[in-house]
Amino acid sequence: MEQNVIETDILIIGGGTAGCLAAVELKEQYPNLSVTIMEKAHIDRSGCLAGGMNAINAYLNPGETPESFVKYVRFDSCGIVREDLVLTMSELFEYCVKKVEKWGLPILCDEKGNYIPRGRWNIKINGESLKPIIARAAKNVGTKILNWVVATNYIMVNGRVAGAIGFSIRNGNLFVVKAKATIIATGGAAGIYKPNNAHDAQHKTWYCPYNTGAGFAMGIRAGAEMTSFEMRYIGLRVKDTIAPTGTIALGVGAPQINSKGEKFMATKYAHIGGDGAPTPYRSHGPLQEIKEGRGPVFLDTRHITPQQARDLKSAYLDMYPSMVLYWAANEIDPSKEPVEVQTTEPYIVGGHTQSGYWVDVNRKTTIEGLYAAGDVSGGAPYKFVSGCWAEGVIAARAAGEYAQKVEHADVPAELISAERDRVIEPILNFTHKKEGIKPYDMEVRLQKIMEEYAGGAATFYEVNEERLLVARRRLATLPEQFKYIIAEDLHDLMEAHEVIDRVLVAQTLVEHMLFRKETRWPGYCTRTDYTELDDQNWLKFVNTRRDPATGNIEVFTRPYEQIVPGDRYKPR
Amino acid sequence: MPVVVHADKCNTCHGAQNPPCVRMCPGDLFMKDPKTGKIIMRDPSECWDCLPCVKVCPQEAIEFKLSYQLGFHTAKLMPHIHDTRDFITWELIDTKGVVDKFTIRTKVLPVELDEKVEGVTAVDFSI
Ligand SMILES: Cc1cc2nc3c(=O)[nH]c(=O)nc-3n(C[C@H](O)[C@H](O)[C@H](O)COP(=O)(O)OP(=O)(O)OC[C@H]3O[C@@H](n4cnc5c(N)ncnc54)[C@H](O)[C@@H]3O)c2cc1C
Ligand code: SF4
Ligand code: SF4
Repeated sequence: MEQNVIETDILIIGGGTAGCLAAVELKEQYPNLSVTIMEKAHIDRSGCLAGGMNAINAYLNPGETPESFVKYVRFDSCGIVREDLVLTMSELFEYCVKKVEKWGLPILCDEKGNYIPRGRWNIKINGESLKPIIARAAKNVGTKILNWVVATNYIMVNGRVAGAIGFSIRNGNLFVVKAKATIIATGGAAGIYKPNNAHDAQHKTWYCPYNTGAGFAMGIRAGAEMTSFEMRYIGLRVKDTIAPTGTIALGVGAPQINSKGEKFMATKYAHIGGDGAPTPYRSHGPLQEIKEGRGPVFLDTRHITPQQARDLKSAYLDMYPSMVLYWAANEIDPSKEPVEVQTTEPYIVGGHTQSGYWVDVNRKTTIEGLYAAGDVSGGAPYKFVSGCWAEGVIAARAAGEYAQKVEHADVPAELISAERDRVIEPILNFTHKKEGIKPYDMEVRLQKIMEEYAGGAATFYEVNEERLLVARRRLATLPEQFKYIIAEDLHDLMEAHEVIDRVLVAQTLVEHMLFRKETRWPGYCTRTDYTELDDQNWLKFVNTRRDPATGNIEVFTRPYEQIVPGDRYKPR
Repeated sequence: MPVVVHADKCNTCHGAQNPPCVRMCPGDLFMKDPKTGKIIMRDPSECWDCLPCVKVCPQEAIEFKLSYQLGFHTAKLMPHIHDTRDFITWELIDTKGVVDKFTIRTKVLPVELDEKVEGVTAVDFSI
């Protein structure tokens, strides 16, 4: 394993939505600083945006303000968010969207040239090429881009992050990138739970299956404070394809119905907004219908015209093309029959929900020199692409300022060789012909534990103390097995580290779920032993910190602070 | 079997080190077949069905098929990018062979057939 040592002022780990915008902002604000992106795939088409997007889901349409946005997001998250983070993010939506439009993103406009709203916070785009567009912008400003380098750990010197280490899946070289400031933007975690589809469609998940929680795991290993992992994201999606439903629900105004044709959201959940209830309830509602024997559940699209059905397909082609082929391959016409929906396996994301690094208003984590943006950053749900852009910009401004004040740290050689040994072990296990475990096998083992004991889809996402304790015990035995993982090639090696990271994310998640003794987000994490929302005791954030020396995970709380006045359970 | 590379249509982008299909897959699923030197897909179960590989192949050698678990055989979806790069036409064929076409505005950036890898001496990406 050869070594490439690179010195840069700022290192951005993960060249996705947030990472690309951070790079551009840095080079524009601080032209003298050198910026490097470390990306496990190729930034032209990596991460969540690889397939494209058909809407920008967080934008202040005419009449809305940052405050009205906070009110909505707070309602949607059942009364608890980091209002300071949501406010600062929404203030930058306009700045980011205009910027990306200038780079060439087609945004749909009416005759007067105004963006076309889709619901309160969305605008329609032709975003099939959104990822290459922002990647080019990041390249054009002079960012050094390390494609195909998988980040494995931070370089920790005296409690400060002084860069990161990764390996190339093209030639196996170890990359040691020393940086004055580091921005983590590796997205959230998929693949913690058993996926809805198996066999040759194992990776047919909603969230990008290649975002495996590396950023969370690196932070957890380094002792960073994490927040709200127990707010898992379980989306309502089209059955089998796991395609987003917002395109249908918002695009053509389709209500949910059960197998009896009843609009159960409108009746049973009228008190919290019916079909406009907070997102967790829109998954919880249909789940209860199925559980109580009134499934399957559908989005009723039978009122739409053939032209609307065509428009719907066009919208999916911009973001989720397999949806359109699915209809053709199963002879389904959405204007004639309703679209069956199901809930996904749980994901850990800071974009739709609020799991991730505990950060301050500048997106600085609890570790010196480290900033977090996008799905890896916690406390601010409802980010979507534009919120990730905004956070990339905020983190970039703060990291740039910090980098000007500090010097590169001296990195002890032992630190690098220890990480190299850890990284390469699965390959050595193979070359030494040891008997061992394939990354895929461990992944399935992890997913089975999580599915059965930590609230997977098969158990209707329900958890209780006893089951979670079994999950904790079973998971604790997995790290002892890491030394048996074998990787035949560099692609396998990447998968080996992906599963190692996922195990740590799963362990942290279980601690979070055990700690919050209430059901704040039904459907996302339903506790059968504490069934009610309990503002008296639980209007606070559940946070964890792992001690790097002992490996013990400490769980504690942080207070919620209301900044925007108003009823926390009302959308306006 | 979500993505299939048709060996007869693939010209390996004239022996490129890093052809576009390899670069565009967010999951690193394309590799050179060590035996034939042709591009193959590593593992269908790892595919996310996101399609950048299909859209970027200059030879239209990559076909997207829905896995049989999810949909029936012979249905097809092929994207064709216009020479102007401002539009993409999706050709959709259902199980009965009925063809439907969707032309949608887009903004396709030119792709190089080959690309040097930053910080990495040129290597064969097949392992
Ligand atoms: C299918 C789908 C559809 C969506 N549709 C919409 C929509 O229409 N509108 C909208 O507003 N939002 C949408 N979203 C949400 C939005 O796309 C995401 O919230 C956003 O892209 C997340 O940005 P990010 O930068 O945090 O992560 P990403 O954009 O996923 O970037 C993370 C990057 O980190 C890289 N990475 C991961 N691990 C490592 C590692 N170990 N080392 C180096 N690099 C690593 C990844 O390869 C990736 O490039 C959608 C999301 C999905 C999954
Ligand atoms: S892009 Fe197409 S032609 Fe080029 S190597 Fe890949 S499959 Fe072959
Ligand atoms: S569809 Fe996406 S994940 Fe599948 S091979 Fe193509 S680019 Fe890779």
